Amino acid sequence: MNFLAASIESLGAKVVGWFTVAYGMFAFLAKAGMLLLDRTTWNRATFDVVIKQVYFTAVQILHVFLAYALVISWLIITIILSTARDFGLTEFASEMTIRVLVLELLPFLTALFIALRSGSAINTEVALMQVNNELDALAHCKVPPMQFEFLPRLIGGVISVVTLAGLAGLIALLQGYLSIYGISAAGFEPYTRTIAKIFDFQIMAGLIAKCALFGLAVTLIPVTAGLETPKKLFMVPVSVLRGMMRVFFAIVAIEVVSLALKYI
Amino acid sequence: MTALPGDVARVALDLPLRANLSALDNIALIPLYQRHFSAAESARQAQAMLDQLGHADIALLRDPDMTPSQRFVTKLARAIILKRPRLVIDRPGAMLYDVPYPEFIRQLAAQDAMAGTWEIFDFSWNQALYQA
Amino acid sequence: MNKLHFKVGLFTAASLLLAGIFVVYLLHARGFFEKTFHLQLAAASADGVAPGVPVVFSGIEIGRVTTLGLNDDGGIIIRAEFLERNAKWLKETSTFTLDKPFVGGAKIRVDSPDLDAPALPDNSTMLLLTSDISKEIPALVERVKAILANVEHLTRKDGEINATLANVQTVTGRMTGEYGMLEGVLGSPEKARAVTDSLDKTRALITKLDAMTAKTDQWLFAQDGMAEQTRASLAQVRLMLDDAQSSLKKADALMANAVEISADVKEGTQDIVKLRAEIDDAVRKANALVNEINKKWPFARDPEVKLP
Repeated sequence: MNFLAASIESLGAKVVGWFTVAYGMFAFLAKAGMLLLDRTTWNRATFDVVIKQVYFTAVQILHVFLAYALVISWLIITIILSTARDFGLTEFASEMTIRVLVLELLPFLTALFIALRSGSAINTEVALMQVNNELDALAHCKVPPMQFEFLPRLIGGVISVVTLAGLAGLIALLQGYLSIYGISAAGFEPYTRTIAKIFDFQIMAGLIAKCALFGLAVTLIPVTAGLETPKKLFMVPVSVLRGMMRVFFAIVAIEVVSLALKYI
Repeated sequence: MTALPGDVARVALDLPLRANLSALDNIALIPLYQRHFSAAESARQAQAMLDQLGHADIALLRDPDMTPSQRFVTKLARAIILKRPRLVIDRPGAMLYDVPYPEFIRQLAAQDAMAGTWEIFDFSWNQALYQA
Repeated sequence: MNKLHFKVGLFTAASLLLAGIFVVYLLHARGFFEKTFHLQLAAASADGVAPGVPVVFSGIEIGRVTTLGLNDDGGIIIRAEFLERNAKWLKETSTFTLDKPFVGGAKIRVDSPDLDAPALPDNSTMLLLTSDISKEIPALVERVKAILANVEHLTRKDGEINATLANVQTVTGRMTGEYGMLEGVLGSPEKARAVTDSLDKTRALITKLDAMTAKTDQWLFAQDGMAEQTRASLAQVRLMLDDAQSSLKKADALMANAVEISADVKEGTQDIVKLRAEIDDAVRKANALVNEINKKWPFARDPEVKLP
C-alpha cells in the first residue's frame, strides 16, 4: 500500500514538474511574442543582435553543415536508388528521395545539428548568466534581458534552421537529380513533375512551419532551462543536460506530430 | 541591502557586468534599451561617460580582460548613466582589492561634471581608511 | 566595413535568392503561370477514385482528379484538371479508362489512338470506362465455361449430333436449308444455329481473353523482376489460347467447306466426321485452357496477389 502511494506520488510529482516546465516555456514564449508586437523592440540594436545570432548559428558553420548535408544526402539517395532498382520500383525512387530527405530527414538533422551546437551553447550561457547574477544586474539597471539576449536568439534560431534546412533540401534535390538522371537535361521534365506533385501549398507551409518550430525548440528550451538554473555553479552542467534532453524530446515530438498530420 | 528603493543606482560585487559584452556595450545598454536611443547615440553617450571618468581606453575590453579597478569604473559608469537620484557604492573593498580604494574613489569623484552625492556603504572597521 | 555583417548579408542574400528561384520554379512546375484545363468524366462507379488520383497518358501523369460528385440522375461526375501544356494529349477520340493495378494506386488512363484528331475542348464531358481486371477475368472465365459446356453438350458422344450422324440418309434432304450442312447434321435450323453461335461466341471470347491477357501482361508485369513465375504461366496461357484459336479457325474453314461441298453428299459426310473431330478438339483445348487459367490465374481463387 505504502509502495503504491509512493509511486503514485512520484508520478504526480513528475507530471507537475513537466507541467511547470511546459508552462514556463509557453509563458516565456508568450512574453517573447508580445514583445515582437511591441514597436520599440524593432530597433537597430535588436537587429544587430539578431544578425550576430544568425552569424553564430548559421553562417559560421555553413561550410561544415553543407558538407555534412551533402554526405548524408548522397548516402540516403544511393541507398534509396539501389533498393528501388532491386525491387523494380525505380519510378517511385525520385519521389521517395524527395519525401524522405527534403521533407523529413534533413530538417530533422538540421535541428539536431543546431541543437547540439547552438542550443547547448545558449543553455550554458544563460545558465552562467543566471548563476553569475548577470541577469540580476540587468534587472537592477532595468534593462529587460528578453529584448537583447533572448528574443534575438529565438529569432536567430528560427531563421537559421529554416534557412539551413532549405539549403540542405535544395542540395538534396540537386543531388537527387544528378544521381537519377546524371548530368543531362533529359530528366528535367519528369523531375519537375515529381516536384510539382510533392510540393503543394500545404506541404510547403507545413515544411516551413516545422522548421520554424524546430528553430524555436532548439533555442527556446535551452533559454528556459538556463533560466531555471539554481544559483550554484555546479548546477550548470545539470541544467544543460536537462535542457538538451528536453530539446531532443521536443524535436522528436515535432517530427512525430508533423508525420502524423501528413500521413494519417 | 536587498531592500533598496528603486531610485538607487548600486555599484556592487553581486551586480556584475554582462560578460560577453565590452565595457562600452555594457554601459550603452542603458540608453539603448531604457531611453530608446539609437545604437550609435548610445555608444557615444557611453564613451563620453568613460571619457569623463578618465578611462576611455577600456571601452573595448570585456569583463574577464579588465583589472578590478577597470571593472569598477565600468560598473560605476553604468550606475551613473542610470541617472537615478542616489548612487550607492556597496562594499567597494570587495571590488577594489588591488588599489587603495578610498583614494581611488575620491579621484573618480573629483572629475569634472560629477554632480550628485555618492553614498558609500562599507564595513565599520574600514572607516579608518576614509579618514586619511 | 563590418565583416560579420557582410557575411550575414551575403548569406541572407544568397538564401533569399535561392528561395526565390525555388519558389518561381515550383510555381512554374505547378502550372501557376498557365491556364488549367478542365475535364468531366462520367462513370458508373467511383470505386477507387478519389481527389488526387492521377490521369496518365503513356504512363506519364498529365493531370489529377480534383472533385467527385453526383449529377441529377445519380450518375458520377469526376472532375479532373490538366495543365494547358498537357491538355494537347486529350483528343476527341481519346478513351478514358480507370485502372486499378495490383501494385500502386488507381489511375485514369488516357488513350489517344489518333493524335491528329481535333483537340478536346475545355470543360467537355467524356465517358470513363472501367477495366478492373481483377473483377473482369473471373466473370469472363465463367462465361467461357458456360459456353464451352453448351458446346460440349451439343457435341457429346451420345448427343444429338451423333444420333444425327448415324442417320445420314435423312440429312441429305436438308442440305439446302439456311444452315446447309450443319442443319443437315444437327437435324433442325435452331440446333445448327446454336452450334455456330456457340462457336462464334467462343471465338470472340477467346480473342477477347487473349487481348486481356496481353493487357494484363502490360499492366501487371511491366516492371522488371516482378512475379516472374506468374509471367511465365501467362505466356503459357497465351500459347494455349493461340492453339485453341487455330483449332477454331480450322473448324471455321471446315464449316465453310461443308456448306460449299454440300452437293457432294459422300464427301460431305466424311467432312462432317472430320468437322466433329475438330469441334471436339477445339472444345477439349478450350476446356484445358479454362482449367489452366483457373489453376494459374493468381486471382481466380485468391484475390490477393503475393509479391515475391
